[in-house]
Amino acid sequence: MIQFDKVSKHYDGGHEALSQLSFTIPTGEMAFVTGHSGAGKSTLLKLLGVIERPSHGAITMDGQNLAKVRGRGIPRLRQRIGMVFQDHRLLMDRTVFANVELPLTIAGIARVERGRRVRAALEKVGLLSYERQLPATLSTGEQQRVGIARAIVGRPSLLIADEPTGNLDPQLAVEIMGLFAEFQQVGTTVLIASHDLPLIKRMRKRVVVLDHGRLVADLAAEEVL
Amino acid sequence: MAAADVRRDAETPPRNEASHTRRVSSWREHHGWSAGASLRRLAARPLGSLLTIAVMGLALALPLAFYLLLGNVQQLGQALGQDQAINVFLQPDQAASQAQLLSKQLGDRSDVASVAIKTPQQGLDELAKLQGFSGALDALEQNPLPFVLMVQPKPGADAATVARLIGDLREMHSVAQVQDSGTWRQRLDALLGVGDRVVIALALMLALAALLVVGNTVRVDIASRHEEIGVLLLVGASGAFVRRPYLYAGIWYGLFSGILAALLALAIEFALSGPVARLSQAYDGKLHIGGLPAWLLLAVPPAAAALGWLGARLVSAWQLRKAA
Repeated sequence: MIQFDKVSKHYDGGHEALSQLSFTIPTGEMAFVTGHSGAGKSTLLKLLGVIERPSHGAITMDGQNLAKVRGRGIPRLRQRIGMVFQDHRLLMDRTVFANVELPLTIAGIARVERGRRVRAALEKVGLLSYERQLPATLSTGEQQRVGIARAIVGRPSLLIADEPTGNLDPQLAVEIMGLFAEFQQVGTTVLIASHDLPLIKRMRKRVVVLDHGRLVADLAAEEVL
Repeated sequence: MAAADVRRDAETPPRNEASHTRRVSSWREHHGWSAGASLRRLAARPLGSLLTIAVMGLALALPLAFYLLLGNVQQLGQALGQDQAINVFLQPDQAASQAQLLSKQLGDRSDVASVAIKTPQQGLDELAKLQGFSGALDALEQNPLPFVLMVQPKPGADAATVARLIGDLREMHSVAQVQDSGTWRQRLDALLGVGDRVVIALALMLALAALLVVGNTVRVDIASRHEEIGVLLLVGASGAFVRRPYLYAGIWYGLFSGILAALLALAIEFALSGPVARLSQAYDGKLHIGGLPAWLLLAVPPAAAALGWLGARLVSAWQLRKAA
């Protein structure tokens, strides 16, 4: 379970990205965080990934206060989180296989097991036949799917995605969201930041709406029209 | 891809939990990968890598060259110093018997190797052999030269021992003058002492320079790969994991520059061998010029590798703290 308790984030210069944000996401739920540009969506995900620290308040993940995670605890925490980025963040000089394998290598998984799990992840995103290619030879959508395969290969308990369909055509965007929904079905908590309202409505999942860093609506799946 | 596949995969054992043995095996595997990858990165930009290695190699070769030079000057000094006796001029009124007595007394000293007596007549004969003196000597009514004792200090006697011996000789009543032809040797010893310190200081400074060269190269390498490092950190890599390839890069730079330094030192030794052999012949083979000891040449590459590792470790720790 993820809990935001009166979380605020101020940047140098006084800009307030998040203000007194409080909500809870139960384990295994899929939710969207939406809002206009600058609403605080990305900041919220960065706080979960311990890329940023909250200025005030507490964020707990399965009972662990993320504000208190320091030093070697940070990589251990990040190994439990799968992150998907709009710009994919792939290593362009390594093959698709090597990119997806990365979290498993870091986690110390044996080579044979790594191979099995990487191929399973690539099969899930429909890129098994691309494993030896470099990311630069793939389309944007395919690169995004490589990013998703890398995020799920370590079987994270939390999957966070920042505008994962931002550069994709509508059909591909639906496919990618379908993938996230499948991961939720097997117990992974999925949190997606997106401003693609038609897509969010289509998915019929919980939606947390932010405006200037404040929570303005928290709609359950059945309330999304 | 069906949800059932995903579920089946989810049912297989927990997330990223590897046994200790597997972790060790994976850790070793990553070391192997890091060593290979860093070597490939060096090979991917040969000019830059060669320049770095050349600068480091030269920096490390310089103290070796000085060490070689200093060692040989010491050998030269010892070889030349073997024949440098202390000339003790006795009072003009001293008889041959007294010269003999004094010679025996001095010969019994522990710091004296040998004592030879040069009679006034022998001295006069030597002078006569010198051009321009024969006429002047003919004009002398009597031989004005005294007995001279040529005192040879024990081989390997240090400057302080020789100075003490000279002091004792000067104190003797029957002695008119002591001519220390070994003074130059003392000065040389003092200069060699300074040289020793200079070599140590140079070695330290140039090792520091090599450390900085590696550090700067690794810094540039890390800066050019900051995006990759960012990704690694985001997917859960620890600082040690990210740092590993850069540490190996430092080790490679150090190792190759150490080998280059040893080869350069050998080349200098080889270049000196001809002239040194001729010099040795000029001293009837008494001059034995030594090269760098094998242990030192063998120790240079691993020591340089350790230096490279240290430079990379310091810089990568600092750079990664910034990146994190």
